Amino acid sequence: MSEGIVILMIGVSTLLGALGLIGLLWGIKTGQFDDHSKFIDSARFDGEDALRDAVMMEEKKKKRHEKKKKDEKAYGPPD
Amino acid sequence: MADCTCTHCNLTFDESVMINEEHNGQTLHFCCRGCQGVYHLLEDEGLGTFYEKLGDTKLQPPSALEGDLEKFDLEGFEKRYVTVHDDGLHEINLIIEGIHCSACVWLNEKVLHKLEGVMEATINYTNNKAKVIWDPEEVKLSKIIETIRSIGYNAYPYDPKLQEERAVKTRKSYYMRILVAVFGSMNIMWLAVAHYAGYFGGIEQSFKDILNVAEFILATPVLFYSGWIFFRGAYYGYKNKTVNMDTLVASGALSAYIYSIYAMVTQRGEVYFDSVTMIITFVLVGKYLEVLSKKHAVDTLDHIIGSTPTEVTTIKEGVKSLVGVDNVIIGDIIELKPGEKVVIDGILTRGAASFDESSLTGENEPVYKEQGDEILSGSICLDSTIHYEAKKDASSSLLTSIVNLLEESITKKPRIEQLANTVSGYFSTVILIIALLTFAGWFYATGSFEQALIIGISVIVIACPCALGLATPMASLVGISMSAKRNILFKEATFLETMAKSRLLALDKTGTITEGKPSVQTERVLEAFDFSLLYSLVNTSSHPVSKGILAHLESKHEKLESYQLEDIKTIQAKGVEASYHGKKLTGGNAAFMQASGITVDEQSEYTLFYFAIDDRLVARYELSDTIREGAAEAVGMIREMGIRVVMLTGDNEQSAKRVAEAVGISEFYARLLPDEKAKKIDQFHEEGEIVVMAGDGINDTIALASSDIAIAMGNGADVAISVSDVVLLDESPMSIYESYRLSRRTFRAVKENLGFSLMYNVVAVPLAVAGFVNPLVAALSMSLSSLVVVGNSMRIKTLKFKKDK
Repeated sequence: MSEGIVILMIGVSTLLGALGLIGLLWGIKTGQFDDHSKFIDSARFDGEDALRDAVMMEEKKKKRHEKKKKDEKAYGPPD
Repeated sequence: MADCTCTHCNLTFDESVMINEEHNGQTLHFCCRGCQGVYHLLEDEGLGTFYEKLGDTKLQPPSALEGDLEKFDLEGFEKRYVTVHDDGLHEINLIIEGIHCSACVWLNEKVLHKLEGVMEATINYTNNKAKVIWDPEEVKLSKIIETIRSIGYNAYPYDPKLQEERAVKTRKSYYMRILVAVFGSMNIMWLAVAHYAGYFGGIEQSFKDILNVAEFILATPVLFYSGWIFFRGAYYGYKNKTVNMDTLVASGALSAYIYSIYAMVTQRGEVYFDSVTMIITFVLVGKYLEVLSKKHAVDTLDHIIGSTPTEVTTIKEGVKSLVGVDNVIIGDIIELKPGEKVVIDGILTRGAASFDESSLTGENEPVYKEQGDEILSGSICLDSTIHYEAKKDASSSLLTSIVNLLEESITKKPRIEQLANTVSGYFSTVILIIALLTFAGWFYATGSFEQALIIGISVIVIACPCALGLATPMASLVGISMSAKRNILFKEATFLETMAKSRLLALDKTGTITEGKPSVQTERVLEAFDFSLLYSLVNTSSHPVSKGILAHLESKHEKLESYQLEDIKTIQAKGVEASYHGKKLTGGNAAFMQASGITVDEQSEYTLFYFAIDDRLVARYELSDTIREGAAEAVGMIREMGIRVVMLTGDNEQSAKRVAEAVGISEFYARLLPDEKAKKIDQFHEEGEIVVMAGDGINDTIALASSDIAIAMGNGADVAISVSDVVLLDESPMSIYESYRLSRRTFRAVKENLGFSLMYNVVAVPLAVAGFVNPLVAALSMSLSSLVVVGNSMRIKTLKFKKDK
């Protein structure tokens, strides 16, 4: 067994593990595991309905954003 | 008569009392108008799938909550609870009441999402807290609250800035640090296996270098990211001129790390990266367990503050107006409606009503108050609208002072110095000094700086605090899991040690020594009668005495029918009256009987309940609060351990004396208000005692918070449980005895562990000083010492209680 193989084995396995760890840390940081019960139950309620709901909220935010932009333009100095 | 379940809330009722309705060819049953309303609202909104998600979970029927909505739009309210984002959006944190399952969370989020102007709504199922972000130009906060109420839930605002945010943040940061530490140490472990194999079987230097570098890469984030907490702790310790456990861990890990880098670069000696990560990981996990348990205390305090009204209705010259509690001045007339909580102390001026004072005295029986009686904040008006005059302003009223006291005592809770901390303080100082002297000595003797440095560091490495660091956490962990198996929950590991040192136990009477509800002691039937009549009569009242009679009848008789009674009248503080097929039924106390011209035998030290049919006395019951099973035995056994037992109660002297005598307590204090109980605890502190207090009610909370160890009963008030350190799930007084035994046994194990690890150091450190330490000795002795500590801690499991024999 040459040194190269050992370095490769240790390097690759540690890197893969580290990727998993980074993913987990990211999940914790963004609050995905804050609510244990919801985390488990959400699988039951997941479906087309939830997706539509999310889209609706997104659109609401977009609409407000646009409205705000328009308002700002109206008050702003003419270009 | 068939039982069927309500379509909305799933509670089971008799079919005859349900509201039946034809809907789309199906018959629907509702237990009340509230359920019916919510059902149709959900159907109309297209949210009928809620019921599929709900399954068999039972809900609370929605109660009609009206009025006080306008307070949510008041400026004072907004200033206190609402945060305004930069882009003009408002944010509030709410506690949602009535959530039973994830379907409820789904429903609440769904209706909020549907509401125009709501930008974000997330609800945490675990603690029922919600965060709502909305656009104030499109929707008002009162509308949001109204929407939540319309589907049968209620929402309180709370201020998350108080403590919660910080608690959550520390918890998260610890968790992430542990994950990194565990990842690092697990990977280093399998590299270390190769290392040790190489040490015995021979290994080429080139492979050793590869392993060294890999271990170095893994150990670095563990030491500096996960171990950051210890460096910070050591720094604070340095600023306060104390040497603590953190100093030892930080200096031990850091010197081992530096030594290992030196060994790696010079290709001489062995590396100790594995011990670096192990120390950090083990001690960090112990610390995390403490942080984890601290979070709960915060949740329910928010609940009390949130449910306190912020506005009251005052009457000035006949005009009613809603005034913020802070603006009420002494002498104002305040109107109080049924179900409202009193926030300002005063004197009743018009009307009469019963008050629930259980949060102040711990007694469940409502207190009847008439004109001229004092009204205390924290009590709840039960049955009628009254007027009273404010005698104090909001900030000096009882309720506010209780909440303030509580906040104060939680933060000021006495901390008993932990043995391990004291020992490690001296230990690390001594080791650091020895290491320095060794370095100086070798440098002077040999003149070689390099050799002196290596030996000096090896002293710190061999004195590695592994065994010492594990001594307390390991024993506590076994102690805690043992107690959890016996339905005793210790919230923090350190409480075991504090409890073991205690020599004084303070007990609350109602709910702790006794059951907390009246039950029938003697039954005297004067004339034969249909027990179903009495059953139906007491069923109409929610008074604790009625409930006691109800429970007694249910346990004694099998076939009891619930009759449809008419003209049901509840006379406050006296009894209930009703008629059935022309028969007049009366049940109540002696005064009530005398009012209907019945002479009764009043000789008894217990609470009396009489039952009369058509003004003829047919039965007499004596009720009293029963003492919990095994209470006397438990008190006796605790006293045998040399512990002084006292009883603190809000009840009168007579009943206090009776209970105290029955369980064998010679020292008791009666008629204590919540803050007086806490003062008693402080008094014990001044006498130099470490106080363990057991209680269950809101009235015990301050005393619980100011005691060294607070024990709460599993069904006690939420606040009592949250401020307590130990929770007894089976509510048995015997568990108090068991927790004493367990904590003392665990503390003994801690002392043994500390003794052993010190002994190990007495042998190993001189060897290191003399320069005899080679890697084999270091590796073996390190793992051996840790194993001994773990093994010794496991011995706690052999502890036997008398009951098991």
